[in-house]
Amino acid sequence: MRECADIERRLSRYLDKEMNDADRAMVEAHLAGCPLCKKEMSELARLKGLVMETERKTLPRDYLVCRIRESIADERRAIGRLSLAGMGIFARRLIPVPVAVIIVSVVFMIFTSMQPVTKSSLEDYIFSGRAATTETALELILGSQN
Amino acid sequence: MNEDSLYIEEFLNGDEKGFEMLVRKYQDRILNIIYSLIGKDRESEDIAQEVFLKVYHGLRYFRRHSRFSTWLYRIVANTAYGFLRKRGNVVGDESALENSVTTRKDPRESLSMKEREAMLQKALARVPIKFKTAMVFKDIEGLSYIEISRILRCSIGTVESKIYRARQFLKDEMLELGGGSV
Ligand SMILES: [Zn+2]
Repeated sequence: MRECADIERRLSRYLDKEMNDADRAMVEAHLAGCPLCKKEMSELARLKGLVMETERKTLPRDYLVCRIRESIADERRAIGRLSLAGMGIFARRLIPVPVAVIIVSVVFMIFTSMQPVTKSSLEDYIFSGRAATTETALELILGSQN
Repeated sequence: MNEDSLYIEEFLNGDEKGFEMLVRKYQDRILNIIYSLIGKDRESEDIAQEVFLKVYHGLRYFRRHSRFSTWLYRIVANTAYGFLRKRGNVVGDESALENSVTTRKDPRESLSMKEREAMLQKALARVPIKFKTAMVFKDIEGLSYIEISRILRCSIGTVESKIYRARQFLKDEMLELGGGSV
């Protein structure tokens, strides 16, 4: 009976054909002379057969691929939103940098774009012989187009 | 280079079609393994999707000295286990199958194929996942003990005893559900 307990534990492996020749021969020798273990064996075999034969499901060819594509697109959109929010945190620390750059470039742009215009306009104005009031001079410098 | 490696190579070179070929190749197998592990239709599809998303994001970290399928099956086992743990139910959930089978008290009554299938699913749902996974890889997917030992990162002896325990559980549950001697 102690031998039966030992065999019973091995039946599962025997059934799966995962045994070496010596062990298999030993199990088979026992089964030949033990109706109890033989019965256990046939029950296990039927059970295994039942599991192996369970109905298999199949999915349409592109069913999962489509679902996954959508999911990845969603993820990317979410990451996009997240990194915009994340940039806010950095921006707070780095605010002086872009602000300084913008101020400097705006001033430079105004300065360079105004230079020839104001120069020539003022010159024209002066050469026209009319008196240049502070008001008209300022208008010309700030580019007010009549 | 096998087929899987070619698909992986394609994907890592920026062609998503390589990944999609892997999905198409494995989707049914993965779905059936998951279904056997958790016993639920809709959730099985969701988990299969989750598995492939993990593959999508993790493929660049996949160490290619092991087989892709081994790595994939490990993700399947971990994801299914995570799902059941999240539900606080690592044994399995049979509620979905509750109404699909009428319990027979008389084992001499013969069961139709459909009834037997439903009963098996119900019994399977009661087998603890820590034993069941190895058995599912063996009987549903037809893997060898050595492959299962690589997936579950355990010894072949452990695989053997897990499968043995799972079948004992399954047999007892079938008896209890009235399936007689199966
Ligand atoms: Zn015996």
